[in-house]
Amino acid sequence: MTKEPETVIKLSEIVRTYNLSAEPVYALRGVSLEIKQGEYVAIMGTSGSGKSTLMNIIGCLDKPTSGTYTLDGQDITTRSDDELAAIRNRTIGFVFQQFNLLHSMTALQNVMLPLVYAKVPKVNRKVKAELALSELGLSSRMEHKPNELSGGQQQRVAIARAIVNSPRILLADEPTGALDSNTAREIMGLFNRLMEEGMTVIIVTHDPETASHAKRVIKVKDGLIQEDTL
Amino acid sequence: MKSLEDISELLAIAWQGILSNRLRSALTVLGIVIGIASVITLLGIGQGAKLEAEKQVQSLGVNLIYVRPGAANLSSISQGQGSAATLTYDDAQAIRETCPAVEDVAAQYNSGFQAQYGEQNTSTSVVATEPSYVDIRNFYPAKGRFFSNTDMKEASRVCVLGETVANNLFGATGENPMRKQVLIRGELFEVIGVMEHKGVTQMMDMDDQIFIPLTTGYATLVGLNAVTGKQVKSILVRAKENEDLQAQFQITNLLRLRHNIQNPDSDDFTLRTQADIMQTAQSITGVFSLLLGATAGISLLVGGIGIMNIMLVSVTERTKEIGIRKAIGAKYSEILAQFVIEAVLMSLTGGILGIGLGVAGASALSQFANWKTDVTPASVVLSFCVSLAIGLFFGIYPARKAARLDPIIALRSE
Repeated sequence: MTKEPETVIKLSEIVRTYNLSAEPVYALRGVSLEIKQGEYVAIMGTSGSGKSTLMNIIGCLDKPTSGTYTLDGQDITTRSDDELAAIRNRTIGFVFQQFNLLHSMTALQNVMLPLVYAKVPKVNRKVKAELALSELGLSSRMEHKPNELSGGQQQRVAIARAIVNSPRILLADEPTGALDSNTAREIMGLFNRLMEEGMTVIIVTHDPETASHAKRVIKVKDGLIQEDTL
Repeated sequence: MKSLEDISELLAIAWQGILSNRLRSALTVLGIVIGIASVITLLGIGQGAKLEAEKQVQSLGVNLIYVRPGAANLSSISQGQGSAATLTYDDAQAIRETCPAVEDVAAQYNSGFQAQYGEQNTSTSVVATEPSYVDIRNFYPAKGRFFSNTDMKEASRVCVLGETVANNLFGATGENPMRKQVLIRGELFEVIGVMEHKGVTQMMDMDDQIFIPLTTGYATLVGLNAVTGKQVKSILVRAKENEDLQAQFQITNLLRLRHNIQNPDSDDFTLRTQADIMQTAQSITGVFSLLLGATAGISLLVGGIGIMNIMLVSVTERTKEIGIRKAIGAKYSEILAQFVIEAVLMSLTGGILGIGLGVAGASALSQFANWKTDVTPASVVLSFCVSLAIGLFFGIYPARKAARLDPIIALRSE
């Protein structure tokens, strides 16, 4: 691993429009961007800037209207919904502002869920999920339901769920938005650790404090990249 | 979605969905339970009624043919049975003597009379018939004996009481009816036997009858008709084994000859066989079963709509969950399967509980209400399949709705 880190994400001339009325609304007007393996990137922008659309496209939840997106060497702009689901499952780990855990399930079951869809055998599933939870300091909270956990603990369960399937990319949408500042700092520390372990971390936020943890900040405005600290 | 493990996985996911709202799932299941239970019970009642009707027809005797006076139809106008007094004792004798396919014949003349013993009296049907009646009807005395050919020849003043009549006349005092003199229309008859219990067949209470020799009947109660001779109300014929059709043919021809009938449309007698009666009984119980089944089917349909309703509510409520599952890699088919299996699990659970409840309900009806019920394995299998089909049918639309959700929109919902 002495070589130049490979490019994981390559966006070229990505345009995304919404046809809500007769006039198409431009969310992205031609975004080109490269993110390399192991980078720690913050995507910043105000509400309506297009950063959420950019995140959805990077996260394979949405498809661009035009332009190409190469993820992990594969062109994914032409993939079907089911293929995108499989790519999300294997390559991307999501962390959300509202944690988005399933409330009827325990922490362990929540973390096991991506492995269920990845068709990992049952025995391995439990081992992997327990390992991920332990790494995040939740070994004593595995059988708790989300509503029995604090906000910071819930976000750590969500991170465990995001990384349990060893994805290339961790995509976090306002991960500290629902947390107090101490807990927020703790969570950001976790992202740092994951980045040091070699994971590509992308954080979408409007908060400069959160973005300051990242090595590279990309500012989005009016559907275009306004500034890239690379 | 091929291996067994995958299926058990999907089952586990769906089961979790059901458990996440226990009360609602239980109430939804209850709709199916009631539907399936009523199908099972009502089909059981219908089947029981059918078997009972068949049993009654069987109990009338084997290879039985009824010959009755009067035309069934005359130029497509029904004249009604018994509208003509055309059948005589001589006809019965002729059938007995000339029809080779006929095993046995019993002419009968019955009419309603008052019977009296001591203080007790009862209104009943007096049947004047021949000794062969018992074998043809498959109906025997429990006490004493039926009248004999000697009684016929001598026109003895003897009678055999049906069970109900015996109870009505002798039940209050507890006396033994044997050898007692019973008064019928001012004439005394000695009781020589009491018939066994037979119950109601073809809407006629077989136990509420008094039997006397036909000759005695002519001598005492009926009197002879100068024009028609010894008129009879009906002739019971037992055909030889497997010769029903020949017997019918022979009787029809014989009677046409004796009554000088050239045109079959002007027959002054009617033949009815056990098969005819069975057919009537079956068509009645068939309609009965159909009505019961339709009623149960409607409740099942309502139960199915209940499942669809709850699944739709569930999909709307769990939009966020669907978004999360999709974001972390659930495919269309996996979301679809989750919700279809959830619906099927609920309807199958309801189906199995409903089958149990229906079987219990049917046997409770037999036990306590004395209704004949018969739950067939076919109706159990049918109910099981129907509940499976209901889950699939009413689950697929909500499940498709769930599986088609856009993950971005689903994630954004609250």
